[in-house]
This record gives sequence, C-alpha cells and structure tokens, in this order.
Amino acid sequence: MRFVKYLILLMTLAAMQPVAAAMNHNGMIMDETGMIMNSNTDKVPRDCKKIAGDVNITVRAGHKQAKKFNGIMYAFDQQQWDVPPCSRINVTFINEDKIRHQFMIHDLPGYLYPQGMFTMEIYGPGQKTASFIVPSQRKTYLVHCEVPQHMEKGMKAQLKVDGGDGDLPSIPGISAAVNADSYRVDWDKSAWGALLVSFFAGAAVLWLLNRIKR
Amino acid sequence: MQNKYLRLLSLLLIVLLIPLAYWLRPGKFEAADLSPPPTRPIAASRPSGFESPCKDEHPEWRQAQVIDGVEIAESLACSPDNPYDVAAFVKGVNNVSMPTLMSTHLSEDALTKTDDLDGDGDPDVIRIKLEVIELNGASPDGDFLIPSYDILPGVQPGLWVFAPKTSDMAVKNYGSNQANYFLRAPSPVIRVEQGDQVYITLENTHYFPHTIHFHGVDHPWKTADGGDNDGAAHGGADHVSVFPGDSHTYEMKPRTAGTMLYHCHVQTDRHFMMGMAGMFIVEENRPNNWVQTFNIGGGQVRHPSVGVKGEYNQEYDLHYQSVDKRLAEIIQEVNDPRLIEKKMNREYNMTESHESYFLLNGHAFPYTLRDDLIVTGPNEKIKLRVANVQDSAVALHFHGHRATITHYDGIEQPEATQIIRDVVDIASAQRVDIKLDTTNDGLHNDGEGVWMFHDHVETGTTNDGVSPGGNMSLVVYRDFIDEQGMPKLHDGAFDQFFTRSYYENEQPIWAMGEFAQPLGEAGLLAPNYLKIIAFGLTVGLLFALLIYLARSFKQGAAE
Repeated sequence: MRFVKYLILLMTLAAMQPVAAAMNHNGMIMDETGMIMNSNTDKVPRDCKKIAGDVNITVRAGHKQAKKFNGIMYAFDQQQWDVPPCSRINVTFINEDKIRHQFMIHDLPGYLYPQGMFTMEIYGPGQKTASFIVPSQRKTYLVHCEVPQHMEKGMKAQLKVDGGDGDLPSIPGISAAVNADSYRVDWDKSAWGALLVSFFAGAAVLWLLNRIKR
Repeated sequence: MQNKYLRLLSLLLIVLLIPLAYWLRPGKFEAADLSPPPTRPIAASRPSGFESPCKDEHPEWRQAQVIDGVEIAESLACSPDNPYDVAAFVKGVNNVSMPTLMSTHLSEDALTKTDDLDGDGDPDVIRIKLEVIELNGASPDGDFLIPSYDILPGVQPGLWVFAPKTSDMAVKNYGSNQANYFLRAPSPVIRVEQGDQVYITLENTHYFPHTIHFHGVDHPWKTADGGDNDGAAHGGADHVSVFPGDSHTYEMKPRTAGTMLYHCHVQTDRHFMMGMAGMFIVEENRPNNWVQTFNIGGGQVRHPSVGVKGEYNQEYDLHYQSVDKRLAEIIQEVNDPRLIEKKMNREYNMTESHESYFLLNGHAFPYTLRDDLIVTGPNEKIKLRVANVQDSAVALHFHGHRATITHYDGIEQPEATQIIRDVVDIASAQRVDIKLDTTNDGLHNDGEGVWMFHDHVETGTTNDGVSPGGNMSLVVYRDFIDEQGMPKLHDGAFDQFFTRSYYENEQPIWAMGEFAQPLGEAGLLAPNYLKIIAFGLTVGLLFALLIYLARSFKQGAAE
C-alpha cells in the first residue's frame, strides 16, 4: 500500500514538475536524463529590438572529441561559434560519454538568465535541444563543462557575438594556457647541429670584423 | 728601496688584520650580552587572517526535523549536515518531493530506491551512481586550485573522492573556486540493508581509470552477465578498469551485515592515499528499515537504521584518512594527464611516501571542531563505526571514557568476549564498531565534560608536524555546547588555531596573558654598531692594502 501511495505522489509530482520547476527554480527543468536551466526562446534582451535570426548549432561532447588535441582528456567537437548580435541560438547538445557533461555558458544578462547562466546538462549518452538569445554587444562568452576538471582538461570553448572581444585562454587549438605545462625538449642531432653551426657563425662574425678593421 | 719596506709593512699588516677581521665578523646570529632582546609585541607577530571558529551558515539545519516524512535527528555541531540531503538519501531521489531534491545537489538519477522484495515495508532494490571528483586540482587558467576544499585553515591538498552523482555547479557560484559543501572528503559512507539488491554504477568523470572494490562486503566475483564485479584491476591497463568517460555497474545482495569498505583498486597504493576509499555499511534487515544510503559530512548518522536505533541513542561514522602532501601536490603541479600519469605512477616512489595530514571525516583540527564533534548527554549509548584508511595504524583514545569494542571488521563479537579498552588499535583498512556508554560509573564514563578523542599515534594529531592538529576531536556533553555548536570552554579557547599562520609556524604557541612576554616571540638583537664599524674599517683597509700590493708588484715587474 505504501508503495502505491508513493507511486501516486511521484506521478503527481512528475506531472506538475516542469511548471513548478519553471516557476520556482530559476527556470530549471530536470528529469532523470538531465537538466536545462534558463532556456529562453522568446524573451528579447533589452538592447535588441527583435530576434535577429536563428542560429542552429550541434555540439558533441565526450572524451573521443579530445583525441585531435594533445594533453587533454575531454572536449567539445568545436571550440568556437560566431553568431550575429541578438540571434537566438538553438543548441542541440549531444553527450557521447557514459558520464555527465554540461554545455554551460556564463555572463549572459542576469535579468533574463539568473546567475547569468544558460546550462544544458546530460547525465549519460543522449541529447537535448534548448535555446537562448544573445544580447547585441560585441562579446566573447565562456562555454564549458563545469564537472570538476573537465574544463581544465579540455572541455572549453567560446561563443563570439559580433566577432567577440578577444579569445579566452586555454581553449584547445585556439589559445595558449595562462600557466602552460613544461615538457622536455627533443635535443636531437639537428637541434645540436643548429646550435653548433650558429655558434661558429657567431664567432666568424668577430673574425670578419677583425679583418675589416685591419 | 722605500717600496720594498712599504711592501713588507703592508704584508705584515695584512697578516695581522685577517685574524682581527675574523674576530670582529658580524653574524646572522650573535650571542646576547647582558640583555637578550625583548619579546616582540603580539600585535606585530599576529597577522590578520583569523577565521571565525564557526561560520554558522545554516543554523536552521541543526534542529530535529521531519522532511518528506523522514525523521532527521538533531545535530548540534557548527556545520550540521544538510537535512534535505539526509531526506533524499533515506528515501531515494525518486521518492522525495521536487523542493527537497532542489535543496540538494543530487542529479535525478543519483539514487533510486524501488521494489519491496521481501514485503517488509522498505525498498530493496537500490541503484546508486558514483562519480569521481578531483578536489584542489590544477587549472591552466591561472595560479589557483579548483574546486577548492580546505582540510584546515589555508591547506588544500589535491584529493580524489567518490561522490554521489550531482548536477549543476561544482563550485559555490561562478566567480568562486570553492567546492559546494557536497563535494568534500572523505569518499561518502554508503549504507544499504542486508539482502538489498544493490547496483552501484561507477561513472568515471575523472581523467584516469578507476574501479570500485567492495572490501569485506558480500559480493559475487562476476556480475550476472559475466562482467567484472570485484574491481581488482591491479595496475589498471586491463578490461576491469573503468576508463575516463565510461561507466560500469557492480551488483551485490549482501547477506552479512557489518561495517565494511569500498575503494579504488587501480594503482591502489596511490589512489587509496589520494582519498578513493570509503565506508560501506550493511545494516541488519528489519521491517520498515529505510536506511540513510549516504552519509556526507561530519559523521553523525541523522537517520539511523531500525536495528541501530533499537540499541543506541545515536550513531556516528568516523573515517580516519591521511594525506601525503608530496603525492597530493602532483596533480597541482601540471595539467596534462600524461604528465600527471608519469609523475605520479613512474617518478614518485610510494615507498618514500610520508603522511603529512591526518583527517577525521575529511577535516583536520581545528576544522574537526566544526562538524566532527560527538555531542551527547549522560546515560546514552552511542554507536561509533570506525574505519582506518590511513597507511599507518590508528590508536584511538577517548578521554574520560572507556570504549567497548562490539565488532571487528564488521563482525560482531560474542558479548562475553567484548572487551573494554582506552586505546583501540586499528590497522590499515580495518574497522571496529565501538559502544560509547556515557553512564557515569567510573568505568564507562568519568562524568560530563568536554572530552578529547584522538589518535594516540601522536603524529596523527599534527598538521604536517604542527600540533595540535590532525584527527583530534571532542566528545561534548550537551550542557557544554553553545548555540553555534562550539564547546563552552574559556572564551576563544580555539581561536588561535583558526588561522593559516599558526600552521605555517608563525605564531608562538603559548604567548597569552601573563605569559605573552616570557613565552612570546623573541625579538631581534640590536646591532652592535661599534663592532660593525670596526669590522668595516678593518676589511676596507685589508682590501686597500691588497690592491696596493698588487699594483706595486705589477709596477715593479714593469720596471
């Protein structure tokens, strides 16, 4: 009997959940496959007259996407998206791993996106689609997976509105790390050869100068 | 000729001046004469950076309460565990209300409880999802650690923990590097009921391979479909390991109750020390027995099982763990997983490992005071489940109490052979269950008070060699605890420890009150100007003479 009660309670909760979630929980929609926060298909940012147009992007996330880079473990399939001001970005986010990944973007206007965030999170293999509308100003937004060490180990990208205002650091293939790792240098024969030849060339300059003086 | 005499004279002078200069030499340290230097004023030797012993972030979490029908016991500590978490851990994410779930950090598939298989009023199919979380890891974006977790003021060693599957931000907010309170050491206690059909899925969110081995827990060697179920990956480069981005489900239906362990079995020496070990508790099967599947935080079980509640007033899980700071540093020095692999597995020799920090439930003193207190009244029986996952042995000692050992490695001792000791020795990976009886009879308890309990391997009560520290904590009787969960001793008894400068050895330990002067920091010795000037003149003269000599010889040779 107790379980029937729970079941009924659960079903009621499940039925009302998206409404309650949207109203009470900062626009968070959750189910057992993932979570979407602050999805926005129609609220136009103050500085835009209207939605300029739709940009559809498909983002794949997983450890296999990291293979085209060295020294990282997780990645998105793309590291940069360029979009026009005031456009609506429709993101289809595909998680190719058997673990949790996120498509999380920061610094959006807080009056439309509480905490300035738009987040799509998928708890395992699968996909979800959601939208957000960018403001008009020229800006580069951070896109990352915030599961500990996923951004640090490569799952980091940038969204540039109107060309963006520069590159963020340590985006695979785009920008260098602020504190980059050091690696052992391959001192092979040609490197040693180059050093020797240039040493003698340098010495030869002095010898030449001496000759000219005389 | 004149030159010759002059040369001879200067040579003689040089020979005389060298011992004089030596005798006059100023030192970094010099013996004091009649008056040693005065004590440095406390104001100067006491830098800022004191933390409040209790931040009192969630006072509303302390009281006994009922959430979604789950009774949650009072927890008077400064930082009690989140009661909404406890409710979700007891009922399963699938059986709690949305507002409760939203008050936790759990993902909606983190813990599901279904199917009352034996018809005794509690769910028996338990599905648990665990992730691997790195705390205090490196960032390529700057000189900081993320997500950060302090084991004591200002100390953030790199740690790996198993954690229930979470959702949303791992840090407190965008702009903070601090881990949310859910992500912390130790790896959480897992609790199931005897006879439950348990499925534990390891979702490897980390960048290295890992497994889970269930130590002492009744589990088949293979899963029903022939997959690995023991987690014994040895080195790790085989099919048993769960590689990054992958997942694996272990299954069991434990027949034997008791306090057991789970831990990663890939490069076990290293991964164990990095923090990948936790307690796995199988509770006795009882009717209507909804057990608190996870225990994250200070150790108090806020919803004890039916079996424990029948015999005890309270229950605490005590997880003793140590940290090797040099091993822990490796993940903070470099970011490329290949470099970390090499440094950790092939360059660091674990036989040269030293334990630097000693944690009780993820904190070292003074942070143990915030959430690891045992709070009791007289005439109570308290069940303590103690696990040692350090390298070294723990010799657990209670002041004012003598503990009865009821279980070794989860197995109950016949009552007649249960022994009472004031030091309980626990080797690495061993567990003991202890009955702490607070009846003031001169044997079990000596009366009320604020009684310490700590590892009597005394290095275990230091923080990297600075005392007091380590796994030291307190049994506090209710009359001796203030409304912020701090023991009522004299004012500010522990204040001096809530700063990183104390653990960087920058503060004289006993410089207080009357003894601020005789046991304070000795000041610097005033320079002896006469001696310094005399030394300067002597050395100057020496140099001048040497140069004179050299020049006159050169001239002589030229002539």
